[in-house]
Amino acid sequence: MDHLLPAEILEADRAFPEALAACADLDALLRLKGAYVGREGSHAARLMDLLKAAPKEQKRDLGAAINGLKQGWEEGLTARQTELEAAKKRLNALASSWDPALPPPVPARGALHPLNRLMDRLVEVFRPLGFHVEEGPEVETEAHNFDGLNIPEDHPAKASSDTFYLAAHPELLLRTHTSPVQVRTLLRVAPDLHRLGGIRFLAPGRVYRKDEIDPTHSPMFHQVEGMLVGHGIGMQHLKGTLEYALRALFGPHTEIRLRPSYFPFVEPGCEVDVSCPLCDAQGCRVCKGSGWVEILGAGLLHPNVLRHAGIDPEEWSGWAFGMGVERMAMMLSQTPDLRLFFENDQRFLRAMGGLD
Amino acid sequence: MWIERKALAAEIPAAAALDTRQLCELLAALGFPVDGVASREGGDVLDVDITANRGDAMSHRGMAREVAAKLGQPLTPLAPPPVAEGAPKVPVRLESPACPLYATALLTLNPGLGGGGTPVEAQAFLRALDASAKGLPAVDASNELLHRYGHPTHAFDADRIRGAVTVRWAVAGEKLVTLDGVTRTLLAQDLVIADEAGPIALAGVMGGDGTKVTEATRRVLLESAWFDPKTVRATARRHSLHTDASHRFGRGADPAMAAVARDLLVDRLRTWAGATLEGAWTAGALPAPAAPVTLSEAMLVRVAGEPLTLAEAAEALTRLGCAVVAGSDALAAQPPTWRHDLAIPDDLAEEVLRLRGYEHIPSVLPPLEGPPQRLSPDYLLRRALARRLAHLGFHQTVTYGFISPEADAAFAAPGNAPEGRTLANPLGREYSVLRGTLLSSLKEAAEQNLRQGTREVRLFEVAPTYSSGPAGPEERFTLGLAWGGTQGGEDYLSPARPVREADLRGIAQDLGLAVIPEVRGLGEGLFGFEAPVADLPRPGERIVSTFRPFSRFPSVERDLSLLVDLGQSYGALATAMRAALPADALQDLRCVDVFRHKSLPEGRQAWLIRLRFQVDRTLMGSEVDGWVASALAAAEALGAKLRT
Repeated sequence: MDHLLPAEILEADRAFPEALAACADLDALLRLKGAYVGREGSHAARLMDLLKAAPKEQKRDLGAAINGLKQGWEEGLTARQTELEAAKKRLNALASSWDPALPPPVPARGALHPLNRLMDRLVEVFRPLGFHVEEGPEVETEAHNFDGLNIPEDHPAKASSDTFYLAAHPELLLRTHTSPVQVRTLLRVAPDLHRLGGIRFLAPGRVYRKDEIDPTHSPMFHQVEGMLVGHGIGMQHLKGTLEYALRALFGPHTEIRLRPSYFPFVEPGCEVDVSCPLCDAQGCRVCKGSGWVEILGAGLLHPNVLRHAGIDPEEWSGWAFGMGVERMAMMLSQTPDLRLFFENDQRFLRAMGGLD
Repeated sequence: MWIERKALAAEIPAAAALDTRQLCELLAALGFPVDGVASREGGDVLDVDITANRGDAMSHRGMAREVAAKLGQPLTPLAPPPVAEGAPKVPVRLESPACPLYATALLTLNPGLGGGGTPVEAQAFLRALDASAKGLPAVDASNELLHRYGHPTHAFDADRIRGAVTVRWAVAGEKLVTLDGVTRTLLAQDLVIADEAGPIALAGVMGGDGTKVTEATRRVLLESAWFDPKTVRATARRHSLHTDASHRFGRGADPAMAAVARDLLVDRLRTWAGATLEGAWTAGALPAPAAPVTLSEAMLVRVAGEPLTLAEAAEALTRLGCAVVAGSDALAAQPPTWRHDLAIPDDLAEEVLRLRGYEHIPSVLPPLEGPPQRLSPDYLLRRALARRLAHLGFHQTVTYGFISPEADAAFAAPGNAPEGRTLANPLGREYSVLRGTLLSSLKEAAEQNLRQGTREVRLFEVAPTYSSGPAGPEERFTLGLAWGGTQGGEDYLSPARPVREADLRGIAQDLGLAVIPEVRGLGEGLFGFEAPVADLPRPGERIVSTFRPFSRFPSVERDLSLLVDLGQSYGALATAMRAALPADALQDLRCVDVFRHKSLPEGRQAWLIRLRFQVDRTLMGSEVDGWVASALAAAEALGAKLRT
């Protein structure tokens, strides 16, 4: 029956599948639909005109042929529309969804300074033993920094080559250790000592010594002082406390070792070593193969220190220790250069200090 | 101090059985840690750390005494051939109590009559200790004796001494050229050895150049004295002259060794230099021995933490050279002449524990006698502040408390004069002023970070700043914060933008600072502020606050887009609008957007003002409309127009 149909229609019908496939979106499909089955000017409209004008005896056959063509086109168009609509839906869904692997907005993260973090940790370690925190000024009097600590008046540490003094106030200096906090605290609590049942505290803080800046020296550094005054306090209590604290800090298998030493404000005095926390006392670069690292100086309070504060050394006794925070931080972190702690590079701070 | 193992073993033969490591451990356990071991002259030499209180240990003999006491083994007897004393050949006058004892001898050196000079063993010994032999037996022998036995001696060229020898205080302004060739101007507090022409030595510190022993010296006058430690320390420090002699006299030499050292020196000069003794004599006498020290059993047990007996203590102290008299509940110990550090019972207790070994001290937690004290609110506030800022993305810095006057002046308060905060002896000008501001230090750290290529720098520090007061610098803890660079832009949802001043004001507001501090420009795209920590709100004492009712009815929000002049004050506008609104219903009024664009009339900008109302009932649209109209009217009175 194809002879009844115009050649260009037959050609359009042959081209239909390809044209349909070429429709990439619904707009294109709509245009194709207009061209084939639209109300006016389409192939279907032309065929209807043809049918109207056809001789009666051809109408039946021609009608069937036209219907066949139109039905084929409409089915194709509908199928393609469903396909394109589904594709668009998929795209829309994708457009409103995001790959969870894309980096999400993360709140900015800062860090505590590693030295502060270590000092905070020390306070936490001693807290369960009833220690609180005492603080004192960094600008101190000679009396508190030296004299109250049984340091002889001609001690070399007093020299202006070792200690910073204030120009306008020759009696004032930058404290060379946190020990003056001992003096201040004892003077303050002395009248109340019986009611308080002794005293025990840590004194973390910044101290100053006249050292040139190099990889192992800094004119400003940090110490944590510890002090306890009570009845019948002896070396066993110093050892017991430090063993508890250093195990809490370095791990339950840590051993400690006391060695005799000398500081004017304690008697007996000692240095305290811990089994090397980095090599489990097997011997490494940090402990120089010995398995031990020196961690702090300590001792029983010299009776003159108690007397200076008006506390009777016949009744009361106690101990004190002093620990270098940088030294411990460098040892634990194996940081090669002390100056890194004062450069405040954010990369260093984030890596070393972090957040609890 | 260097200790040669061989020479130590010569004093305490039992030490020869210990290898170097065992010896190091033993010394460390006695309080003399070994900092290093060197191999010199065919043997090990130990670098022993000796604390300042133990002048007596600063020699091989001194160290041997400690080892002998610990091991319970005898020392090699020290018995130089006795030197008979006679009448003084040169008068010696002691005019100061700082030198109570002065032993001396006069010898003629006869290099021709035997004596091959300083023996090779003595030379090797000195080299092993990082000292060197001078080839002059009188000098080398004195030096060798010092290291071996700890007592400093000196030899003068006797022919260059004029008249009597006097130990006296210097006359202020007197001059002395010391052995190191330096001319010293003396003070009245310097003790000197003088002849009739003037000072010939700084007592206990260094000899004089004019009377030194040389190749040409034929007669020597020896000095083996005892000088007051404090006097020697002061002179050494005043003249910055720290010598082997001043080190030992300054920490307390053994007065009983004065005569012994003189005898040893005479003996060496006889054998090393063929010297003949012309005479030996002593001026003065041994200083009075220190009083015995009493140690009670109660104290011993308290310090040791275990039931040590007085008998055990007496045994240990006797081994260390004390003369001990034990009673029933206390002992009295007379320290030996070389131990100036044993003055109080605590010292004796320490000696007992030290000799016994600190490893035997038991480990006991101290009992709590009273309730623990709380952490102070100040301390807690600072700790919480640091953690909060770290969680807000800021990095805590630690910077030096002293800065340059210029850095200080850049940000410190104008009234805070730096003079009262200036150091007398700073490391340098850049570290000379106790800072009145944290901002200079933060600026430096921030700029350093930005130079390193950091996109965004967020720093803070909580540290004291200082203000000059009449009694000295006054300290107060200060919070400083610096923020700069580019914010955001690190993910697909947060646009990148430069950090703005307003960002810092937001932090200050979020921290609840009582007074919002001025945000300062620290540099290109870098801002900072600082505020006293005391301005931060303190956490309330009450854990849970008193209940205050709040409305459960929904709130109503309305936005007003206003065209206002570019110069319009937001504060004035917000105040005027608030005043026009019922205070009990207005929950919040804030500008949530600022729009500036060329599409707006020239000189104008658009502010989007958001109003939020809430009362304890359901709000009617009409009443909210009324309020919004009042707010708009108040804004219009200030020249604002509703943007359409």
